Amino acid sequence: MKFTTSTAVRRKVLRGAFSALSVAALMSSSVLGANAQDITFWTQPQGDLLAYQGLFDELKSEFRNQSGINVSVEVINWSVAFNTWLTVAQGGAAPDCGDMYWLHSLSGIGAGKFGPMPITEYKDQWPTLEEDFYPGILADVNWNGEFYGIPWRADIRPMLYRTDYVAEAGFDHPAQTWDEIVEQGLAMTQRDANGNVTRWGFAPGNNNPAQTLLPYYWQAGGAMMTEDGKTATIDNEAMRTALKFLQDLVHVHKITSPEIFEKSADPFVEFTSGTLAMMGSGGNAYPVTLDRDYPEMDGTWSLALNPEGPENRDSYSGSGYWGVLYGARDVDACIEWIKFLSTPENMQRISETTGAVSPRRSVMESEAWTVRPWQPIMADALNYGHTSQHPTSVWSALAAVDPGGVLYDLVYNTVIGGADIDAEIATAQARMQTELDRASAN
Amino acid sequence: MTRQKYIFCYIMLAPALLVTAALGIYPMLYSLWMSFVQFDLLRVNQFGTPFVGLDNYIAVFADSRFLQTVTNTVLFTAISVAGVLIFGLLLSQILNANFRGRNVVRMLVSVPWFVPPAVASAIWMWMLNTDRSPINFLLQDMGLITSNIRFLTDSTTWGPFSIPMFSIIAVRVWNGLPFAIIFILAALQSIPASLYEAAEVDGATLWQKFWYVTLPQLRPVLAILSILLIIGGLGSFEINYIMTGGGPQNLTNIMAVYSYQQAFSFFRFDLASAASGVIFILTGFVSVFYLRSQFKKAA
Repeated sequence: MKFTTSTAVRRKVLRGAFSALSVAALMSSSVLGANAQDITFWTQPQGDLLAYQGLFDELKSEFRNQSGINVSVEVINWSVAFNTWLTVAQGGAAPDCGDMYWLHSLSGIGAGKFGPMPITEYKDQWPTLEEDFYPGILADVNWNGEFYGIPWRADIRPMLYRTDYVAEAGFDHPAQTWDEIVEQGLAMTQRDANGNVTRWGFAPGNNNPAQTLLPYYWQAGGAMMTEDGKTATIDNEAMRTALKFLQDLVHVHKITSPEIFEKSADPFVEFTSGTLAMMGSGGNAYPVTLDRDYPEMDGTWSLALNPEGPENRDSYSGSGYWGVLYGARDVDACIEWIKFLSTPENMQRISETTGAVSPRRSVMESEAWTVRPWQPIMADALNYGHTSQHPTSVWSALAAVDPGGVLYDLVYNTVIGGADIDAEIATAQARMQTELDRASAN
Repeated sequence: MTRQKYIFCYIMLAPALLVTAALGIYPMLYSLWMSFVQFDLLRVNQFGTPFVGLDNYIAVFADSRFLQTVTNTVLFTAISVAGVLIFGLLLSQILNANFRGRNVVRMLVSVPWFVPPAVASAIWMWMLNTDRSPINFLLQDMGLITSNIRFLTDSTTWGPFSIPMFSIIAVRVWNGLPFAIIFILAALQSIPASLYEAAEVDGATLWQKFWYVTLPQLRPVLAILSILLIIGGLGSFEINYIMTGGGPQNLTNIMAVYSYQQAFSFFRFDLASAASGVIFILTGFVSVFYLRSQFKKAA
């Protein structure tokens, strides 16, 4: 085909006009995209992914009808969640509000410029917060005297045990104290003719040494640091008691596998395959998983409050919370959204759909949480919840699951390596203080 | 080549070069810069990134764990490269022979290559689990052992060696073998049959044919293959990270895992970058040989 000059010119003009129109359309759409009544919200999936996404589709639609605010919800895969929030706290792309965790570290990294934003001035929007929520969980959303959001899922960890093995060993109740852990653990540990253990009596926690240590240290009456997060307080009798107890489980009573802290170890897999009788501080997702994926085990397992230590029976607890981020285009709209999500009715729906333990008392006291025998125990354990977060931005580094972490080295060297407890505590105390100084220099 | 052809070539290369520059060279240079500044994630938003010279390198070399990871990395790389080359040579000889079902065997040998290292690690974690390992069951049934071998968790050491280190090396060899076999097989097929015929006429044995004909002919390929495997080994990450996380007691920790832990567990991106800088120097040193051989070939 041949073009005349005038055709070519006309085409150029048309092309230019089209480009101009496209740019104008793009600009107007981006202006519309920045509408103050539009907010973005990032969350991680809980329970079934499709059910979770479906629930949030419903919730945002109801919220739009009620408030006129459009929420764009993005579900982040758990495998990239930590790095995503780490990037957010460093000033990377961020939503207006989100479902977050690890408040202290992410706030510390954000240093008041990025990441989680305090919403203390909006706290009165939840006038009965302290009565409505379990106190151990609320500690996760307060830091440095500021309030950061509403907890919506609780990570409470009671003891998981095999009822059939307990009965077989002649006990009529699960272990209630540290001494009973040893007594029952000895009775339930089994070995083959060559002395290889075919069933371990007790795993004190998951394969994270720091998370495993915490409840035993609290139960012995210890605290990791002063309330201002500036001074390490682990060189004390409580730490010696906790570490000695854990060390004896492995080396003296031999009811705990010396491999518990290795990456290839998974106490829950051991539990489901029948090679573990009791697991202290079992994750809160385990009962849901057992119900869903192991129906053949029904009636052979249950939950119990963590056995009592010398001082108390505190349980490890953590939470995920809904909060606002620095740079949010419309903080008021975010608060409205969080208020909407945190109504008793919506938190009930969320808990029922995801199976997540709710930090709201009314949900855990509802009929929905009494259907299975383990559910009321989970609710009761919340009363003993002790926050796993600590008032320093360096906490997650202190409690890292890798060799070289202060608590990792302390627990691994003593409990598995059998190292001298006093010497290891002294080293850990000094190292922890250095880390706290690093963080408090902010 | 005419000027127009040059321009055409550059245009065709441009997308690949841009992607390499954006996703490879820029992050590498940025990471190198981070190794010379203070980049503590807990302080960076408050205090910025002051220049600290070689302090980060001094700090990582003062850490006994890092020195152990350097030793581990070198041993891990050396043994796994040797393993891949030896088994690769043996298997490729077999696969080069004419026998019934050769194609099926070739395909089966290639299977580990199709398994991503992350998946391979998960499979081998199960295969090497102390209490559930089928290898342990088999050895016990055969009466060779009475107690389970702790493939990934035994902290008994012989110098820098340990059972977990050997287990990880074995997985690395398993995963890297097909790559070597394909390389060597291609080279074997390009050796002129006349050389073997001449050797036969001279009365050479099977071993002599391998030693005096095959090996010299394979030398250039083996050299390139070794360099590529060494570069891959020094920067290896997934298998060690997933299977042991560097444990037990740092016995299987290697530099890339150490670097990751410093950055994402302890928030010290500066120390992580310094550790990566050491990997960069080591791989850079090896790469020089590779590039030289490539330039020689091109010339």
